[in-house]
Amino acid sequence: MAFLSAHFVAIVFYVLAVLAVAGGVGVITFKNPVHSALSLLGTFLMVAGLFVLRHAEFLGAVQLLVYAGGIMVLFLFVIMLVNVRRLSPDAAFLSRRAPLAVLSGVVFGALIAFGVLAGSLGHPGGGATALQMVQGHVMGNTEAVGWTLYRHFLVPFEIVSVVLLVAMIGAIIFGRKDAGLEGRGGRMEP
Amino acid sequence: MSLSQFIPFLPEIFLAVAGFAILLAGISLGKRGARGLSLLSLGSLAVTAILIWVVGRPVEGAHTILGGMLFVDTFAVYFKLLTMTASGIVLLMSAGYLERSDYSPGEFDALILFATLGMMIMASGANLVSLYVGLELMALSQYVLVGYFKLELKSNEGAVKYFVLGALSSGVLVYGISLLYGALGTLDLGAIRAALTASDTVNWTLNLGIILVGFGMLFKVAAVPFHVWTPDAYEGAPTPVTAFISVGPKAAAFAMFLRLFLGAFHPELAQWRIVMWIAAAATVIYGNIAALTQDNVKRMLAYSSIAHAGYALIGIVAGTAMGLWSVMVYMLIYTFMNLGAFGFVIMLETRGYAGERVGDYAGLAKRHPGAAAGMLIFMLSLAGIPPTAGFMGKLYVFSSAVQAGYIWLVVIAVVMSAVSLYYYFRIVVEMYLKDGDEDEPAPLVRDRWLDAMIGLCVFVTLFLGVYPAPVVGLAQSGVHALGLG
Amino acid sequence: MHIEHLLTFVTLGPAAGALILAFIPGRLEKVQRWAALLISLAEFALSCLLWANFNPDIAGFQLQTAKVPWIPQLGISYHLGIDGISLLLVMLTTLLMPVVIIASWRSISEHVKAFHISLLMLTTAMLGAFVSLDVFLFYVFWELMLIPMYFIIGVWGGPRRIYAAVKFFIYTMVGSVLMLVGILYLAYSNHLQTHVWSFAYSDLLKAGRQLQMGHSFFTSPQMLVFAAFALAFAIKVPMFPFHTWLPDAHTEAPTGGSIILAGVLLKLGTYGFLRYNRPMFPDAWHAFVPLILVLAVIGILYGAWVALVQPDMKKLVAYSSVSHLGFVMLGLAAGTIASTEGAVLQMVNHGLSTGALFLLVGVIYERRHTRMIADYGGIARVVPVYTGLFLLVTLSSIGLPGLNGFVGEFLILAGTWRRYPVAVIFAALGLIFGAIYMLWMVQRVFWNPFTHEENKSLKDINLREVLAVAPLVIFIVWIGVHPTTFLSPMEAAVRSLLMH
Repeated sequence: MAFLSAHFVAIVFYVLAVLAVAGGVGVITFKNPVHSALSLLGTFLMVAGLFVLRHAEFLGAVQLLVYAGGIMVLFLFVIMLVNVRRLSPDAAFLSRRAPLAVLSGVVFGALIAFGVLAGSLGHPGGGATALQMVQGHVMGNTEAVGWTLYRHFLVPFEIVSVVLLVAMIGAIIFGRKDAGLEGRGGRMEP
Repeated sequence: MSLSQFIPFLPEIFLAVAGFAILLAGISLGKRGARGLSLLSLGSLAVTAILIWVVGRPVEGAHTILGGMLFVDTFAVYFKLLTMTASGIVLLMSAGYLERSDYSPGEFDALILFATLGMMIMASGANLVSLYVGLELMALSQYVLVGYFKLELKSNEGAVKYFVLGALSSGVLVYGISLLYGALGTLDLGAIRAALTASDTVNWTLNLGIILVGFGMLFKVAAVPFHVWTPDAYEGAPTPVTAFISVGPKAAAFAMFLRLFLGAFHPELAQWRIVMWIAAAATVIYGNIAALTQDNVKRMLAYSSIAHAGYALIGIVAGTAMGLWSVMVYMLIYTFMNLGAFGFVIMLETRGYAGERVGDYAGLAKRHPGAAAGMLIFMLSLAGIPPTAGFMGKLYVFSSAVQAGYIWLVVIAVVMSAVSLYYYFRIVVEMYLKDGDEDEPAPLVRDRWLDAMIGLCVFVTLFLGVYPAPVVGLAQSGVHALGLG
Repeated sequence: MHIEHLLTFVTLGPAAGALILAFIPGRLEKVQRWAALLISLAEFALSCLLWANFNPDIAGFQLQTAKVPWIPQLGISYHLGIDGISLLLVMLTTLLMPVVIIASWRSISEHVKAFHISLLMLTTAMLGAFVSLDVFLFYVFWELMLIPMYFIIGVWGGPRRIYAAVKFFIYTMVGSVLMLVGILYLAYSNHLQTHVWSFAYSDLLKAGRQLQMGHSFFTSPQMLVFAAFALAFAIKVPMFPFHTWLPDAHTEAPTGGSIILAGVLLKLGTYGFLRYNRPMFPDAWHAFVPLILVLAVIGILYGAWVALVQPDMKKLVAYSSVSHLGFVMLGLAAGTIASTEGAVLQMVNHGLSTGALFLLVGVIYERRHTRMIADYGGIARVVPVYTGLFLLVTLSSIGLPGLNGFVGEFLILAGTWRRYPVAVIFAALGLIFGAIYMLWMVQRVFWNPFTHEENKSLKDINLREVLAVAPLVIFIVWIGVHPTTFLSPMEAAVRSLLMH
C-alpha cells in the first residue's frame, strides 16, 4: 500500500500509456472499421488522461471535446455512410513487406527507448502544478495556455489558420463534382 | 510585442491576402482566365518581393521579430527571394498547361501562393513551432497540388503516397521537437544554440531529438532512406507541379535544414555529422544508380533530384561557413536548371503522356534545334559539366567538403556524378544521335510564356556557369546570420 | 594588338569564330565551310605570331596574359602563358585545324554548321588546356573538350557511333572527375599552408611537392593525388590497359574527328603527365616510374601486335597510336633530357604522321566506302600519286631516317638506354613490329595482285586532298631534316622541368 501511494502517479502513467499504445495497435489490427475507430477512441481517452496527470487539465478537456467528441463522431459517420463492414486483407502486400515493417518498427522503438531511458536517468521530471508562471504572472492552466498561444505564439497560430484554409481547399477540390470533367478523362485533348 | 514589429512581416501578410484574393477571383472565372490569374499571382509575388526588399531586409544586422518567432536576416531574404522566383517561373510555365487541361486555375495558383508563404516562413523561422507550421503549410499545399488532376489515377496515387508518408515524417519531426523541448525546455533556436554551447555532457534524449528532426528534414529534401515517395509523387503530379515540388520546397527544406543544423544544432556537430555523412553518401549513390534504368523522364528526373539533394547534403556534412554558402548557391543553381529541364517535359506533353518516355525525344535536334540545344544545356548542367552552372555548384560544395576533410565523400560524389552522365546523356543521345522513328512525332507546345521561362533558365544556367561570383557574394552575406565564421 | 593579349586571341579566337558561324544561315553551307577555313587559317597565322614572339632562352612561362580574377572566393583566375613545350603543341593544334576542315569538305554533308562550330569549340578547349596557368582553368578546358568530341563522333560517325561516343564520354569523364578531387585537395593543402585560396599552377606546384609520402599507397596523400591526376591522363593517352575506348572512337569517328583525336586530344594525356604529374609530385613520380615503364612497354608491344592482325585500315592505324604513345610515355618515364625532348617531339610527330594516315585512309574510304584491306590490292598503278604520299607517311610513321619519326624515336630510345636498357630492348622490338604491320598493310593494299575490278575506276587524289595533306608532309620532312628548329624552343623548358 505504501508502495502504491508513493508511486501512484507513475503507476497511473504506465497504465494509461500502455492502454494508449494498445489502442493504437488495435486501430491497425482490427478487421472491422468500427472496432478500429473505437480503439482509436480509447487511445484518445488515455492521452486525455495523460494530460490531466501532468496537470494540463485544459488540454485534457480539449482532447476530450475535440478528438473524442468531434473527430470520432465524424469518423463513425463516414464509416456508416460508406458502409464498409470488413476490410479484405491485402495478403500479398502484407506477406512481402510485413517482416521488414516489423523489423524497422522494432529498431525505431528500440532507438527511442534507448534515447528516452538514457536521457531520463538523472533527470527527474519537474513537479507539475496546477498553477503556471507565464511572464512573471501566476495564473491558472487555461489562462496560461491562452496567454502563451495568443501572445507568444501568435504568428504560428495565425499561420495555422492558413494551413486549415489550404486543407479546406484541398477537401473541396477532391470532393466536389466537376460537370465538365466527368467522362472526359480530365487530361488534355490531343 | 509592438505594432512596429509587424512591419517586417508585411510581405507575408500581403502574400496571404493575395492568396485569398486569387482564390476568390478564380471562383468567379471558373476554368477560364488561366493566363490572367497567373499574371495576377506573379504580380503579387513581385509586390511581395519588393516589400521584402523595402521592409523585410535587415538594415542594422540580423534580429528577430514578433516575440522571437521569425528572423529578419539576409539568409532569410536570400531563400525567400529564391523560392518566390521558383514559384513565379512555375506560375508562368503552368498557365498554358492549365489552359490546355480541364482543371480550373484559381485554386492552383492560390495553392502555389500559399505554399510560397509556407516556404517564406520556413526560410525565416526562429522558433521550432513557426518553422514547423511553415513546413506544414507548404506540405499541405503540395499534397493537394500533386493530386490536382484528380481524375488521373497516377495523380491520385502520387498524392496519397506523398500524403501518407509526409504525415508520417511530420510525426517523426514533431516527436523530435518534443524531445528537444523536453531536454532543453525551449523551442527558440537562439536559446537552443546557447544551451547546446553551454553544456558539455552528452545528453541522449537531446541527441535523439536532433536525429529525429534530422530524419524529418531528410524526408522533406527526399534523401535516402526517406526518398520512397519521390518517384511516384513526381511521376503522378501534373508536370508543372512536379517542376514546382522539385525546386521550391526543396530549397525551402534546405533553408530550414541549414537553419537548424548549421545554426541551432551546430554545437552538436560531432554528434549528428556521421548520420548526415551516411545519408549523403547513400543518397548520392542510390539516386544516381536508380536513375540509370528509368525510361520515364519524370521518374528519371525524380531520382536525379534525389541525387542532387545528396550533393547538397555534402555541404551540410562539411559544417563550415563555406559548406553553408555552397549549399545556398547550389540550391539557387539547382532551381534554375531543374525548372528548365521540366519546362521541356511540359513542352513535349502535347499528346497525353508524350514527352515522358525517353524515346519521345528521338530526333528532336532535327525538328527543333533550338529546343534541343536548351535541353542539352540543362542536361550538361545537371551532370555538372563546365561551363554550366551545375558544375560551379558542385565545385563549391565539393570544395567545402574537401576543406573540412571529407575527401572520400567527395570521391564517392564525383564518381557518382560521372555515372549520372550516362542517364542524362540518354536524352542527349535520343535528341541528337537518333532519328525519331515515329511517322508523326508529337509536336512541341507553342507557348511564348513557357519559351520565355525556359530561355530565362538557360540564360541563368550559362551565366552562372561562366561568372558565378555575384551569387556567391550574395550567399556569403547570409553566412553571418547563422553565426558561422 | 598588345602582345599581352595575343594568347587570349589565340585561345578564344576559335570560340568567337564559332559564335560568328552560328549567325550564318543554315542553307549557306559553302559560306560556312569557307568561314570556318578562314577562321582556322587566321588562327594559324596568330599562332605563327606566337612563335615569332617566343623567346627560346627563357625557361619559364612567357607571353603571359594579365591575371584576371574569375572566381575570387576560391582564388581562381583567368591566366594563360606558354613555354616551349606548350608552344609546339599549340602550333600542332592550329596547323591541324585547317587540315581537318579541308579534309571534311566533302565527307561531312549533314549539319555542316554544327560540325564546324563543334570543331572550333574543340579547338578553343584544346588550346586552353595547353596554355592555362591556372589549374582550375585547365580543368574547365579539359572537360570542355568532351562535349564537342562527343558530338563529332556521335553525330557524324559510322554505324556504331552511339556506342563509341558514349564509351568515349564515360571513360574520359570517369578519369577526369577524380582529377577534380585531386585539384581541390591540392588547393586545400595550399590553403592550409598559406591561408590563401589559389589554384594558380605555380602555387599548386609548391603545394604538390610538399604533400606527404606515407608508407603505403592509401595513406600517402601525394601518391593518391598523383593517382587521381594520372588516371585522367592515362585514359586520355591512352595507356594500356585503359585504351579500349580508342579503337572504337577512332573507327566510328569521321575522318576529321579521327585526325583531331589522334593529332591533339591524345597529346593532352601525355602533356598532362609532363606538365602536372612529373613536376608536381616528384616523389610519387619516382615511385611510379617502374609501373609507367612497364605499362608503356606493354602498350608498345600490345598495340603493335593487335595492329598486325587488323583487317580494317583505320583500326590498324588506331592500334598503332597505342603503340606510338607507348614510346612517348617511355620517354617521359625515363626522364632524361634527351628522352623527354624526344617524347615531346614524338607527340608532334605522331600528330602529323597519324593525322596524315587517317586523312589518307579517309580519302580512299570516300571513293570506295570500305576500309577493309582485303577489298584493295595492287591499286598502286591506278592511283600513283596517292600511293606515293601514303608510302611517305607510312615511312615517317615507322621511323625512317630523314623523316620525323626517326628523330623522335631515336631520341627517346637513346635517352632511355642510359637508365633502362631492358625497356629499350623491348621497345625496339615494338619498332620492328611497327615496320612489319605498316609495310605489310601497304603491300597488301598497293602492290598485291589486282583482284577487285571495282578498283579500276578509282580516281587519284585530287587537288583539295593534296592541299589538305601537304602541310603535314612539309612538316614531316622538315622535322626529319632539320629537327633543331623544333627542338631548340623547348630545350630550356624541358631542362627546367627536369631540374626539379
